[in-house]
Amino acid sequence: MSTAILARPTVAQRLASPLLGAVEFLRMLSRRPVGLAGFLGIVFFLLLAFVAPLFVPFQNDPSLLDIYLTPSLAHPLGTDFQGKDVLNQIVFGGRDILTVAIIAAFLSTLIAITFGSIAAVVGGRLDTIIVAITDITLTIPKLILLIAIAAILRPTSFVFLAVILALLQWSSLLRQVRAQVLSLKERDYVEAARSLDLGLFHIVFREILPTMRSYIAIHFILAMTEAMYAQIGIILLGLVPISGSNWGIMLYFAQGQGALFYRDSLWYILSPILAISLVQLSLATFASALEDIFNPRLRGS
Amino acid sequence: MPVLSVRSLSIDYLTRRGPVHAVRDVSFELEKSETLAIIGESGSGKTTLAVGLIRLSPRGTKVTSGEILYTKDGVTNDIRKIDDDDLREYRWAECAMVFQAALNSFNPVITIWEQFLDTARAHGMHDRHRIRERAAELLDLVHLDARRVLPAFPHELSGGMKQRVLIALALMLEPQMVILDEPTTALDILTQRSIIDLLRQLRQRLGFSMIFISHDLSIAAELADRMITMYAGRVVEHAKVADMFYRPRHPYSVALLRAVPRVSGALGSVASIPGSPPDLIRLPKGCTYAPRCPYAIDACRDADPPLLAVDTPQHEAACIRWQHVAEVIGSNAEIPVAEKLA
Amino acid sequence: MTAVPVASKQVGVRWNPRRYFGGMWRHPVARAILKAALTIWVTTTVTFFLIRLMPGSPVELKIDELIQSSNGSISYEDARAIASSLFAIDLSAPLYEQYLSFMWSLLHLDVGKSFLSSGTSVTSIILAVLPWTLFSVGTGLLLSFVVGIGLGLLAAYRRNSLLDRVVSTGGSLVSSVPNYLIAIMLILFLGVQARLVNFTAMRGAYTSGMQPGLYPAFIGDVLFHAAMPITIYFLTQLGHWILSMRSATLSALEEDYVTAARARGLSDGRIRTAYVGRNAVLPLVTQLAISVGFIVGGAAIIEQIFAYQGVGLRLLDSVRQRDYPVIQGIVLLTTISVVVANLAADLLYSKLDPRIGRAGGAGG
Repeated sequence: MSTAILARPTVAQRLASPLLGAVEFLRMLSRRPVGLAGFLGIVFFLLLAFVAPLFVPFQNDPSLLDIYLTPSLAHPLGTDFQGKDVLNQIVFGGRDILTVAIIAAFLSTLIAITFGSIAAVVGGRLDTIIVAITDITLTIPKLILLIAIAAILRPTSFVFLAVILALLQWSSLLRQVRAQVLSLKERDYVEAARSLDLGLFHIVFREILPTMRSYIAIHFILAMTEAMYAQIGIILLGLVPISGSNWGIMLYFAQGQGALFYRDSLWYILSPILAISLVQLSLATFASALEDIFNPRLRGS
Repeated sequence: MPVLSVRSLSIDYLTRRGPVHAVRDVSFELEKSETLAIIGESGSGKTTLAVGLIRLSPRGTKVTSGEILYTKDGVTNDIRKIDDDDLREYRWAECAMVFQAALNSFNPVITIWEQFLDTARAHGMHDRHRIRERAAELLDLVHLDARRVLPAFPHELSGGMKQRVLIALALMLEPQMVILDEPTTALDILTQRSIIDLLRQLRQRLGFSMIFISHDLSIAAELADRMITMYAGRVVEHAKVADMFYRPRHPYSVALLRAVPRVSGALGSVASIPGSPPDLIRLPKGCTYAPRCPYAIDACRDADPPLLAVDTPQHEAACIRWQHVAEVIGSNAEIPVAEKLA
Repeated sequence: MTAVPVASKQVGVRWNPRRYFGGMWRHPVARAILKAALTIWVTTTVTFFLIRLMPGSPVELKIDELIQSSNGSISYEDARAIASSLFAIDLSAPLYEQYLSFMWSLLHLDVGKSFLSSGTSVTSIILAVLPWTLFSVGTGLLLSFVVGIGLGLLAAYRRNSLLDRVVSTGGSLVSSVPNYLIAIMLILFLGVQARLVNFTAMRGAYTSGMQPGLYPAFIGDVLFHAAMPITIYFLTQLGHWILSMRSATLSALEEDYVTAARARGLSDGRIRTAYVGRNAVLPLVTQLAISVGFIVGGAAIIEQIFAYQGVGLRLLDSVRQRDYPVIQGIVLLTTISVVVANLAADLLYSKLDPRIGRAGGAGG
């Protein structure tokens, strides 16, 4: 009896498979120029927010003489109300925002996947309870609740903020995950796994979820956009203790200091707006390109 | 003059891999008050053909050649050439096409009455009273109660009822020609019986010409005057119904007949056709049925045979070995083919 | 041959509550109402406990503050009594009773009194500002819905044409950018840089000093002040409606009844409205009500930016002033409005789609 069928994959094969997958993915993406632009935008901003600060020196010298300078070689995006360089603030300003967004998206996705699959696989009373809780959370106006919670709890750490955001966000993905798992539950390979008595955990995480990869990836990205929206929103409103200087805080000061109404301070307020908008746009276009790629029905159009 | 004369009609589906030749060089004629059955398996092109006759082909379909000549009151028009307004008039007033009832042929959010109204209005009838009367009259013809059916929504009716309503609607403008696509498929057997009886009655009363398309031979036996079998987009045989059932000359028609189980037949008498239909994008050079044909010879693979006249009148088969087929069956016999070959 | 057992008939069947309520659960209207009530109940409970049980609870803070501001002349019990009435809870009672009395006053629409202007009930404060938010949000939403549906239908019919691509991409681009950023950009470019619009004059819900009433000048003034918020809500929602309607229309166009209708000679116009349009719009109507929830949330920031005195702005002011009863009240009342809107949407949908809610049965 040949053992070739059961041979373990070699190291080369293990490395090759995801690599080939990535190349194939990039090829499909390149056929959708808008989505590709989004993807590149995301990469760019991730580099800007996380890598660039390692190479660019942090400038924190307020200089009252240099308030609201128009763009020049020394200050490509001008200066703010304290005379600090705007470009520098943009470079360093993405880190906190994106970190919170990523953590919040990750947590909410985790909650949604875990409880969605459990609800679908276990069924019965547990399912009804989880669905009821989800429906209720879905109806509550999120930002209002967020404002109220931020006012009462006064989150100081960004991680705490991310957790709060995540707790408000998981509802819609949970519903989707549950629906998908419910439909997949009846499929043959799940039946096979069940008859082999492989256990709930295995069934959910090794059989069903891999097929939902596309769903989950798309939701993760969209959750990031929601998290950024909420985050920047409450920073703008001044509900979060101001520390450091990120894009949201730049906006807050710009608004508060009346930068809105000076002609020279245009770049001070416009830069964070552009940065945030471009990140959101990149995420959104990339997500819709993903949807296009993963949904074979739309592909033929 | 025949009511409908189709000449060398060819229809392609345009796909990424290349054009799919769904209908190839199809010709036939339909006389007044005649019923023609078009029989073939899935993918034989029969629905594409039917839909093409009223120019309702979906996006990405192209009629590459041929004529569709429709004659009424001595005036003949090529349906391919008439303009959009005339086409709208032609559809339903001259030629009514009824799809499968199981397919949702009705708008789910408006009542049956409104759909009658829409159809009437689209063809110039505006008097609500008259339309109401006509609708009641038609529903009566198909043995349905207008008071129950008209205010209902489509989902409230059963499959059989919906099929009857469709037939009633089809007759609203007294068309010369009615095309029915799989009129009894997806209905239970008792309902099938009632629909077939209904069609027979209506045809007798109103005298319209009928084309129906099916894969079900029994309905052809019941209703048709003439029959066409289609394979891989081509007409492979056409004959009077009796000739087709008792004296088929194309191997495919023979195989079709053998594939139908008979109540009185011996257990081993049913045979399916081995193999599968050809790829309609890259067609083989010779006869498309040759790979599955038990009588094929080398000459069959050289060229696709044209329709050849055979030994009975008004009967053509696209097979160069039709005489051999005739011998195998025994010509002029009255016993059904399937039993003979059992 | 085994004898088929005959089921014994039960004499005097007892009324089975589980079956009765379970049956009620199946009826769509009753279920929707039940769900709505449940949501409201859950939110009020959560808010109650949030306020009461948080470390450094606002209630305790208020008591301390009262005591301090009176220089210790008020006893703890008195301070607690004052705080009680302000929060609409009886603080001397055990938690369970507090909760019940809170729910009870809620049913009377008493959500406590504002900290600042003591004596003004929270309910009256909210009712003074809620209509402005609902007006601006509602108008913006309705406009974007109507325009979005029209454009979406058009885009689907002219699939892959220039119009389709422009409308679809444009819509999704504008929707992706956060609405407050668009608001700021509009102010920046139209107001400050180009000096086209005078935004300072547009602050507030209406020009102060004008008598509210249903006369044209006032209505015109109101619209003037609401123009910017409405524009923002309109722009940011538009893309979503366009894309949803476009995809719903594309699905509807593939349906068999559309082909059948064309086979019957119906005109393209009639098919577009009654056959394609109506079927495509149906699922979007439920989305409409759900959107209310989203926008009411984001409205707070927009109202802050334009100084538009709606419920969102009031919430922010209360947050800054630590006016907790008002915060509590606003969270409750906005949730209730959203829940009611969702309920209305569900009921409306079951009315519009004849396939739902009817005792549909196929007859022979």
